[in-house]
Amino acid sequence: MTTPIEDREARKGTQPPYLFPGYVSTQKRAPLKPLILLPENSSSLFSPVFGHDSVRPADGDLTRQHAGEPLGERIVVSGNVVDEDSYPVRGALIELWQANAAGRYRHHLDNHAAPLDPNFTGCGRLVTDDQGAYRFVSVKPGAYPWRNHENAWRPAHIHFSLFGAGILSRLVTQMYFPGDPLFARDPIFNSIPDEGARMRLVSTFDWQTTKPEFALGYRFDIVLRGPKSTPMEAVHP
Amino acid sequence: MKLIATASQTVGPFFSIGLARLHQDSTKINSADAQMITGTVVDGDGQPIPDCVLEFWTFSSFARVPTSATGKYSVILEARTEMCEVLLFMRGLLKPVYTRVYLSEAVKAMDEVSQLVATDRVHTLIAQPGSAAKQFVWNVKMQSDNETVFFDY
Repeated sequence: MTTPIEDREARKGTQPPYLFPGYVSTQKRAPLKPLILLPENSSSLFSPVFGHDSVRPADGDLTRQHAGEPLGERIVVSGNVVDEDSYPVRGALIELWQANAAGRYRHHLDNHAAPLDPNFTGCGRLVTDDQGAYRFVSVKPGAYPWRNHENAWRPAHIHFSLFGAGILSRLVTQMYFPGDPLFARDPIFNSIPDEGARMRLVSTFDWQTTKPEFALGYRFDIVLRGPKSTPMEAVHP
Repeated sequence: MKLIATASQTVGPFFSIGLARLHQDSTKINSADAQMITGTVVDGDGQPIPDCVLEFWTFSSFARVPTSATGKYSVILEARTEMCEVLLFMRGLLKPVYTRVYLSEAVKAMDEVSQLVATDRVHTLIAQPGSAAKQFVWNVKMQSDNETVFFDY
């Protein structure tokens, strides 16, 4: 059994910092004063339950939300959501959003000169099953440029938002695709100091879930913080 | 052995595509007892942040609201809410910031944090009375002078 101190040591560098100057937007938005450590169990264990009725059938298949099918490489993404003690997180709402295959978001502020796809919104919603498993169908998002630095491109990614057991389990992250040549220069990906933690955001190609004549399979497993986990790198005022 | 939690990444600027369905629809709330907080989220230069989404958590409720093009938000809370835990997500935050807002009538509930937070910063956690009953104003400043108190997350 690990002690809290060992836990903290093991977690070191596995989450990004607030201030990461290479990601320019952090410079004016990252808190600069020390964070305050709340007493254990002080934060809410309440978690909203959205239930299966908050999810429509088409929410789990981003290729079937319009009259026609979107362009792009069809993918099936699946995985398990567990807590830090390896217990499945059941009935958890997952919200997803992504660019289309050309690297364009359906958003009025996305000015990238790539085509919108009339058959793709890029929004998905899922609820994990009794084993904590999830699965959705989509198309592989394209890489896209951003203005963070000279010739900056984001590696292809899908945004994930998850609810677990309470507010400290809340997670928003991005799933990447294996072997992306853009990893090396992406400050958002590289903001995570620990290489292992960084690489766990990269999905793995999976023959088991690849559907013949239909779609490539990718696996992406997610670990949510438990309500009792030890806060890391806490600094008192 | 404990697993290591998956790393956080920013919501980026286009989160409304995925998150808007849970945005609070204030037109569907018509309780006379409901309370409302409005405010502005600003960066270290005092510039409004138009691409922020705030989540207000209590022991029994959840409300998510985005900021407008001028960095303003407005959230409706259940009657008698005294404190909310708040998460803010935005482009430029690689992980959410975690704070609290105390409605000013409920300062007694602040004993816990007032012992932890420097006296001259406690005010950043307190919503001020607004222009009408049950209306409050709470602004969030991400950094520098009057930086809102953020808790370890």
